[in-house]
Amino acid sequence: MKAKSAVLWGVNQPWIIEDLEIHDPKAHEVIVNWKAAGLCHSDEHLVTGDLVPDKSLWKDMGISDFFPIQGGHEGAGVIVEVGPGVTSVKVGDHVSASFVPSCGRCRYCSTGRQNLCDTGSGTLSGGMITDGTHRHFVRGTPVALLAKLGTFSTHTCVSEDSVIKVEDDLPFEAVALVSCGVATGWGSAVSRAGTLPGDTVVVVGTGGVGMNAVQGAKMAGAKHVIAVDLLEFKREKAMEFGATHTFKSMGDAIPAVLELTHGQMADRVIMTPGVMSGDLMAEAMTLVGKGGTCVVTGMGDIRDDNAKVNLFELSMWNKEIKGSIFGSLNPRADIPRLLGLYREGQLKLDELITKRYKLEEINEGYRAMRSGENIRGILIND
Amino acid sequence: MEISSTRSSSVTRESSAESESCTWTDLVELIGSIPTPYYQFEPVATAQKVGYCRDVAGSPGHLFLGETMKTTAAVLWQTNTPWSVEEIELDAPGPGEVLVKIAASGMCHSDEHLFTGDLPFELPIIGGHEGSGVVQEVGEGVSWLAVGDHVVFGFIPSCGRCPSCSTGHQNLCDLGDRLALGKQLSDGTARHHAQGKDLGLMCLLGTFAKHTVVNEASCIKIEKDIPLEKACLLGCGVVTGWGSAVYAAQVSPGDTVVVVGVGGIGSNAIQGARLAGAKRIIAIDPIEFKREKAMEFGATHTATSMAEALPLIADLTWGTMANKVIMTMGVGEGAVIGEALALTAKRGRVVVTNIHPAAEMSASMSLLDLTLMEKQVVGSLFGSGNPRADIPKLIGLYREGQLDLDGLVTKTYPLEGINDGYQDMRDGKNIRGVLIY
Repeated sequence: MKAKSAVLWGVNQPWIIEDLEIHDPKAHEVIVNWKAAGLCHSDEHLVTGDLVPDKSLWKDMGISDFFPIQGGHEGAGVIVEVGPGVTSVKVGDHVSASFVPSCGRCRYCSTGRQNLCDTGSGTLSGGMITDGTHRHFVRGTPVALLAKLGTFSTHTCVSEDSVIKVEDDLPFEAVALVSCGVATGWGSAVSRAGTLPGDTVVVVGTGGVGMNAVQGAKMAGAKHVIAVDLLEFKREKAMEFGATHTFKSMGDAIPAVLELTHGQMADRVIMTPGVMSGDLMAEAMTLVGKGGTCVVTGMGDIRDDNAKVNLFELSMWNKEIKGSIFGSLNPRADIPRLLGLYREGQLKLDELITKRYKLEEINEGYRAMRSGENIRGILIND
Repeated sequence: MEISSTRSSSVTRESSAESESCTWTDLVELIGSIPTPYYQFEPVATAQKVGYCRDVAGSPGHLFLGETMKTTAAVLWQTNTPWSVEEIELDAPGPGEVLVKIAASGMCHSDEHLFTGDLPFELPIIGGHEGSGVVQEVGEGVSWLAVGDHVVFGFIPSCGRCPSCSTGHQNLCDLGDRLALGKQLSDGTARHHAQGKDLGLMCLLGTFAKHTVVNEASCIKIEKDIPLEKACLLGCGVVTGWGSAVYAAQVSPGDTVVVVGVGGIGSNAIQGARLAGAKRIIAIDPIEFKREKAMEFGATHTATSMAEALPLIADLTWGTMANKVIMTMGVGEGAVIGEALALTAKRGRVVVTNIHPAAEMSASMSLLDLTLMEKQVVGSLFGSGNPRADIPKLIGLYREGQLDLDGLVTKTYPLEGINDGYQDMRDGKNIRGVLIY
């Protein structure tokens, strides 16, 4: 079939809207008509090259070229076609994208860690996760899909492992937001950090992910939720999402947290800056108290292998640093769970959306994100 | 926002005031009235509705069943009558199903519960739910298995998508609610027939047969160099016992653990407690042979009864009693839970793994003791394990010599010897009898 898609042809280039040719779905694949897609910072990492593996690795990844690639990994849509053997969804079902697929059978899926599903290893490689071949072509060239989803499109063909059925009265925008940023932030606070009632929690960076870490920490009963962000607009928003204090920088937050906690510092620090880097860890670990936890959720340069951490403090004060993908949640259980909280009015989603864009306006949406105008911009396909 | 919150509260309890006591059967009725969740995984039926076989010549959704074959199975026609070993007809696997040539099947006490009627499944039924074999034919759309694969059956299927499977509790997969159905998961019909009647399958498996057809959701692929006559035990008893200690009881290094009943489950609870670092493992069984076996599996002390164990444990622990008590008797009795709680320490945990009669509605226990001593009573199914993760994990332990499977098998029988095997079980002669085909 024919579709439209925002395609990236190389690092530091604009998204280009292309005519897309999609082949029929093969076994265990479905075609989704995407209705809403979030403009997440992770896609920007493709543009800047942070997320682009070194050329020397491409051969091992089984690809000859990383580009062209279709962006978008937050999304909600409707199933319009199913391939043979598809059992979990049918035509007409409303679905959420899941940027980590969940096969339901590997060791990680089988033990409640679907965010680490073994099929996720193919997320940045070429063709379909089902059989490695391509279904998407632009100007006759096979094109890859970010996270095997490519939601910056009117339609794409994806594995059924990458979609999760949701109730059909939920707004597509809400579903799209939950599918990545909301779950990632909320889970970072609730699941990975393990926030407990009475805790002091610091969230560093309150964009589309961090804002939800603020919501999660609040819901888990944190006494203090301290939001750190450079931009005043985001600090104001953070207060609406449940923060009790805000600061411009970690440096500003350190003396204040010291005073708030009588010198004990924070129980949990959640790192959700737009671009993570090893340098940020020094101040982050200063914010963490004895026996406390630092969760690293934000992404930075794939080649950055230097983190500034005092390991003497780490061991003597029994601190811990934990990485987190998808907020350490299970997409198939937790996307519906979060949508249930939204339905009951306990999770803010509508308030996350700063502005809506058409597919053709994607570059304007990312410009606004870069200049800090948006908590979350969202693409809407009519 | 136009959505309403009515859906999530669609299950309203009418009149909680007027119902004085809600029994188990009331609960079952109540559960029956709850609408199927929107996400319910339909193994194949859904796929048919949306044009399942569209790449195959013929109309969408048509079942391309192959030739019916003949095989031998042990069928229970009436409770408390011997298993009838007879020729049956077996249809070819439908969509999502596989034909398995079964190599071996453990004789578990749960099948005896079919025989006595404690488990009120529809008859006639082919027994057996602890089996292993080789995939001989695969139906349309089977994606996880190929001909020649070695498999252990999971006595609870795991769909991999429902809320339980998605959070690491595959033992509670939503498909488990079809267990009592006894027919195929895909469409509720039977592939097994005898004397002109459809046959049910114990736990959707029916491993007391030389061949069976089951849904792929019930199969766990294993490595081919593991002896199938040992691997079959991983389908139920071994993981159930081992997991009861490791997952349900959460035995920690230094714990004092009591295992009540040393059969095919209890012997593995002992092995699990040992591997988890228990300081003392007190095995309780009235039969001397089982107490001796318990010491081989890692028990440090034995007693003939809980009453006999009480002063022993009090003495061993300076009166603080056991951290974990695991109930793995042949048949559970509500009347003895109080005794188990008496063996349990402050903040200790009693794990109820053994099957109690479905009609039993009460258990003896002092709830004051429960509160003041912060004791816990927890149920456990399949050792609270995940079939797809734990069966391969325990095979790995067997391979490394850290789990004894060989010592579990007391005697093997041909399929025709099934009634002798169950008599030996009733007489307490076996840790586990195994049928070898």
